[in-house]
Amino acid sequence: MQRIPKETSVNLAVDLGGLAMKNPVTTASGTFGAGMEYHDFVDVAALGAVTTKGVSLNGWEGNASPRIAETPSGMLNSIGLQNPGVTHLKEVELPWLASIGATAMVNVSGHSFDEYVAVIEALEEAPVAAYEVNISCPNVDAGGMTMGCHVPSVEKVVSLCRAATKRPLIVKLTPNVTDVVEIAKAAEAAGADGISLINTLLGMAIDARTRTPLLARVVGGFSGPAVKPVALRMVWQVAQAVKVPVLGMGGISTSTDAVEFMLAGATAVAVGTANFVNPTATVDVIDGIIDYCEAQGVADVNELIGALKC
Amino acid sequence: MTLCNENAPILVNEEMGCNIWLMTVRAPEIAATARPGQFVHVKVPGMEAHILRRPFGVYAADAEAGTVDMMYQVLGFGTERMTELAVGDAVEMIGPIGRGWQPPEGCKRALIVAGGVGSAPLYPLAEELTAAAVATDAILGASTIDALVARERYGAVLGCEPACSTDDGTYGRAGFCTPLVEEALAAAAAEGVPYDYVACCGPEPLMKIVAAMADAAGVFCEVSMERRMACGVGACLSCVVDTVDGKRRACVDGPVFPASEVVW
Repeated sequence: MQRIPKETSVNLAVDLGGLAMKNPVTTASGTFGAGMEYHDFVDVAALGAVTTKGVSLNGWEGNASPRIAETPSGMLNSIGLQNPGVTHLKEVELPWLASIGATAMVNVSGHSFDEYVAVIEALEEAPVAAYEVNISCPNVDAGGMTMGCHVPSVEKVVSLCRAATKRPLIVKLTPNVTDVVEIAKAAEAAGADGISLINTLLGMAIDARTRTPLLARVVGGFSGPAVKPVALRMVWQVAQAVKVPVLGMGGISTSTDAVEFMLAGATAVAVGTANFVNPTATVDVIDGIIDYCEAQGVADVNELIGALKC
Repeated sequence: MTLCNENAPILVNEEMGCNIWLMTVRAPEIAATARPGQFVHVKVPGMEAHILRRPFGVYAADAEAGTVDMMYQVLGFGTERMTELAVGDAVEMIGPIGRGWQPPEGCKRALIVAGGVGSAPLYPLAEELTAAAVATDAILGASTIDALVARERYGAVLGCEPACSTDDGTYGRAGFCTPLVEEALAAAAAEGVPYDYVACCGPEPLMKIVAAMADAAGVFCEVSMERRMACGVGACLSCVVDTVDGKRRACVDGPVFPASEVVW
């Protein structure tokens, strides 16, 4: 049975750097495919946006198995951005999202500066509402997080992507840096319309009995409820430091988590690992935000953004 | 095919032997559409720090009674927790998921090879094949006699005792079940009624050997692959299997693959 959000008089619409979202809830890239896999459970078109799995120009095979490991209140993954390439996205997933009336934000990946630009150029005629530039994946040897840890490379990749499109450009940051604010400011200065964070924290897990790592690639990205305090702190820091809106994510499983991110300064939120646990998590979060607003006498969800009292 | 997420009350949860348990739940929607070889993705209650669901092959689906049987071996925190669940508790489960067994069209004689709890997802296939009047033989391998928990069910559906092996020699042939497979393939060929289908589920080394034996005998073979899994619905790409067509998802492209497509 496909869930849809409940009716409400609360205004849920938010503007994420030019991306018009009917409610503040999207999906964290890589946890939701392009929505097809979850459409039996939730009406994907009812989400503020669907953020699609990271896409590269010609497709990547990804990393060896095992690719995941469960850890206390979280999980590690080292998928490695496996994807069939931008042509497949254009021919299959994006037309499907358009046909059901969903709002698509495409997560753009690359091994090189040129590849990011090439992916965006390939998508400029496709039904895409916004781009999320992934300079934060910890599971690839080139591109991803390697570009998102240093101000000069952040400035370069964001500037090049900015020049390639007029569409809303959200830049997704890694938490695996000394000063996330410095990186966020660099992305903003280079033309980002919004900042999304956090991508996964670099972590690892070991099987003491066999003395082997639990992931084939040894290290991987840590996500799930356990990372929420780190994510919340970084969203709060970044939201105070930049003028562009922030898309907050990291361990959001419930509407209370989502509200906390908005109070910390996020204009919108993404549900990620929680989709694996609860296939209706996205709509559950929307419904819970509505309940919260109604109970608190909030007429417009935008009132929550940065409303933390401290 | 539509997936559903059912809250499934537990009707039976008991140890069959050797840390292998049977759980029967009421899940009418899944029971009505499950095909042999498909699985369910189970959220075990009361273990919030262990966030992921656990996949289990459907051991039996009774559309009329609206029930689903799962066989599980206690191997870690999740399965340990499952043993503590009582009749009246409920588990949430997504299903039925995946590509099940697909015997070749016109299949006349089939060989089922199960190692350990691999006997579970093969049992509905045994039911389907015998119902379709396909001559079906089964070989069950286990560590010891008490771990041969599906022997009686197979005997009932096949109308004869399945061939069995135990690692410790407490029942049937002593040692691994692979010599039984080789003998069965050779005997069928010698009788002039060779198998045209081998279905195997169990530890990966067993499936690899059986796939090679079937290939040598020129018999089409399918295997059911197991991987660590997160979403269970095809989105996260955690559970990929190396195949001749690249890395494919065990959850929805499998779990059953033609053995010739698997890169071992």
